This record gives sequence, C-alpha cells and structure tokens, in this order.
Amino acid sequence: MAAVSTLVFCAPGYPGGAGDAQPFVDQFAKAAVATAGWPEGSLAAVYDPSEQSGLQKLGGPDAVLAFVPFAFFVQHAAALHLTPLAQADVVGVGAQERWTLVAKVGGVTGPPLLPGYTILSVAGYAPEFIRRSALQAWALPPDVRIESTGQVLSALRRVAAGELVVALLDQTQAAALPTLPFAAQLKAVGQSPPLPVAIVAIVDSRLSAARAKSFQAALLKMGHAAAGADTLGALHLQGFVMPQIPRPATAP
Amino acid sequence: MKRWIGCTVLALMVVACRAPLRPAMQSTPPVPGSVEGLAAAIASDAQRSDVSSDSRIRAELATEASRDAEACMAREPMNVACLYGRAIAQGLEARAHPTRAGELLRTMLGDLAAAEAADAGYDHAGPARVQGLVLVRAPGWPLGPGDPEAGLAAARRAVALRPEYPPNHLALAEALAKTGDLNGARKSYELAHDLAQALPSATDRDGWLREADQALRKN
Repeated sequence: MAAVSTLVFCAPGYPGGAGDAQPFVDQFAKAAVATAGWPEGSLAAVYDPSEQSGLQKLGGPDAVLAFVPFAFFVQHAAALHLTPLAQADVVGVGAQERWTLVAKVGGVTGPPLLPGYTILSVAGYAPEFIRRSALQAWALPPDVRIESTGQVLSALRRVAAGELVVALLDQTQAAALPTLPFAAQLKAVGQSPPLPVAIVAIVDSRLSAARAKSFQAALLKMGHAAAGADTLGALHLQGFVMPQIPRPATAP
Repeated sequence: MKRWIGCTVLALMVVACRAPLRPAMQSTPPVPGSVEGLAAAIASDAQRSDVSSDSRIRAELATEASRDAEACMAREPMNVACLYGRAIAQGLEARAHPTRAGELLRTMLGDLAAAEAADAGYDHAGPARVQGLVLVRAPGWPLGPGDPEAGLAAARRAVALRPEYPPNHLALAEALAKTGDLNGARKSYELAHDLAQALPSATDRDGWLREADQALRKN
C-alpha cells in the first residue's frame, strides 16, 4: 500500500485550534482527492495554527502540499521549496486582498516610517512579507520592529492611545475599522498592492508532475461542482484560481 | 483560507452553573413549570453538553436549553435566572452551530451584562465570570466578540465579588495568561487550587482541581 501523503494547513495568527479545524480539512482533502481521481484515502490533511509546528510538519517527508496564507508563503517559500499550484478565492474577500497600514490621526502620515515605531500585525511572523510585499513602497529601515499579534483589537487600542506603533491590517480587518468605537482616532496611511490571500503549494517537489497537474485541475474545478462547493463553503472558500504571484521588492 | 478558521471555531465551552444532571435523553423532557426549574434544566443541559463529544447530542441539548430559556424569559424577562439561563443556552447554540456563533455570542454577552446588572452575585458571580470566559476564548475582532482585555476586567469583577469561589480564579487565570501575565496566571491557578482543595470532595471540586493542576503543569 502506498504511503499516505499529507496536505498541511497552517494559518499562524488566526484563531482556531487543530481539533476545531480538523474535520473541515479532512473533508476538504477527501473532496479534492475524489475530484482529482486519486485513490481514496491517499491524501491526509492536518491543520496547525502555529508557525513553528506548522513548519515542522511541512518538513516531514509525507508533507507534499501546503495550504498557507500568502504571508507564510513569502516568508518560507524559499526554505521549504514551495511551488504554487493554486490561489484560494475566499468568500467576501476574493483571490487577492490589499493590506492597510493604520496609524493614529495626527501621527504617521506616509513613508518613511519614523525611527522608534513598531509594526503590529497578524502577519508579523512574516517580516519578509511585510517588508517586501505588503509595505514594499515604504522601504522600511532595517531596524524597524515588526511584531506578530493575534490580538488586533489590542494593537489598534495601542495605536489609538498614541503609542509608537502602527498596525498592518488584512482586508477584512481594514473593512471592519469603522465598527470600532475609537475609529475616529485611526486612519489608513498606506495600502499594499493586491496580493494573494492564500496559496496551495507543492512542498519540495514531492509531488510528481502528473499528480500535481491532476490536483491543480481538481482545485480549479471544485468551486464549480456542487459537492466541491459545499466543502469549500465550510472553509469560507468559493474556489481556486491559477496562482499569480507578484514579484516581491528586492531586499535593500 | 485563513478566514474560515475563525468562522468555524467560534464555538466555545461555557459551563458556569451547578445543578444535578438530567437523566439521559430518551425523548424530549417536559418544560419545567417554574423559573427555578427552568434555570436548573438549562444548567443541567450545559453540564451534559460539556462532557459530550457527540455533536448531535450537543445540538439536541442546545435546542432543549433554548426552549427552556425562552419559556423562562416569557415568564419573567427581568429575572436574573432567565437572563443568565438564556445566555448559557446561547453559548450551547454557538457550540452546536459554529456558523452562527458570532451573532449568538454577541447576544449572549448582552444577556450576561443584563444579568450582571440584575444580580451580579448570581451563581457565584456567574454573569461576570462567564463574560470573562467568552471574551477571552472567542475569536477577536473582527471575526468575533473576543476581547481579552475586557475579559480580564470581567474576570477581575467576578473575583472581587466572590473571591472564595475557585472557578472565578480559574477564569481570572485564563484571562491573565491570554493577556500575557503568566506569573499572575500561575498565582491565580495556585489560589484556585488551594481554594478547591479546601472544599469537600465533589465532582465539581475535582474538575476545578484538575483544571488548575493541568494549567500549572503547562507553565
């Protein structure tokens, strides 16, 4: 019997434990395998909310596919030899999103970011993404502090309180800004170009070209088939599109 | 991809009441005839839901608790037992129906605030304690109503009101850990452990001791 391959889901900074998400990723793997025409049970799925243990799982020999936020992809694509296969089309967001830099009214107004400021973001675990993709137009100084936070509300309170921090928000967070009681004290001072939301990628060429092709075709098809759409809907996805990876800014 | 994670895990465990368990569900039990009976029935459903791993049973318990909560509200809408009971029932619904959890938990927090205003000491400061747990455990803005700082404030209110009740210290410890005060969390877990240890042996006490011990081993 052939060894089971694994699809590793990893979304650092976002809520959710492995146990909560597991039934949904199991269902996704099952549906994708069926659509791809792979043998039943030949692909397992695992969800990991932590960057470090997600990386460990992706380093395992059974990990053939990764499903990760674009920030994770930018940060780790080179080290993990990730080859993009498809780009997620997320309900309410789309296949691309813009990230927004938020500062206190009367504080930062535009680049450059002054010395002493810290950037807080759910994507703070991926400084390469922040420097070279999301805030590439800001040419951040090498010593700027970037911190990861899953507590975006607390981060925005710190911004509004006048601390030397700015917050980098994803599209959903930025869209919800007006709902905050202290929204009047915040303003958007910069925006990224459109960037992919999440990527399905092959890990370290561990999938043959034929299997990669059939899996990619399955992903692209899933949003159009009723059964696939149900599975995707449970994950707040509406389908997949061919990957369009923007070229990151070169390192200074 | 990331967005669904928050949307599927809004459900959280909120068991704050102590009451005898109902017998195993064979058929829909009759609606209790008094506010006290309804509140006890909801509390019992919450306890059973807490120990059940079967999603179908949890959904049935949520439906039953919601029915009892609405019956309670129809009788005495300003009674703390009904407000608190409806909040607990909404927590069970949120567990059973994660896609509606954001809306349910917001309503739950509203009922808990009303219950706290009506009688803050009810169920050993339950309204504040449960608010603390919900605010700490729920996904944060903008996906859900989670707000660890507000959760910490609520847990502190519960401890201030009923410092002798171990679950209040467990809730405070969880809030302190979530907001980064690991030393404070450890002290609260130790206090919860000591308070529980001093109580006569019972199922609840053993559960509190277990929770405190597990957390202390992790730190």
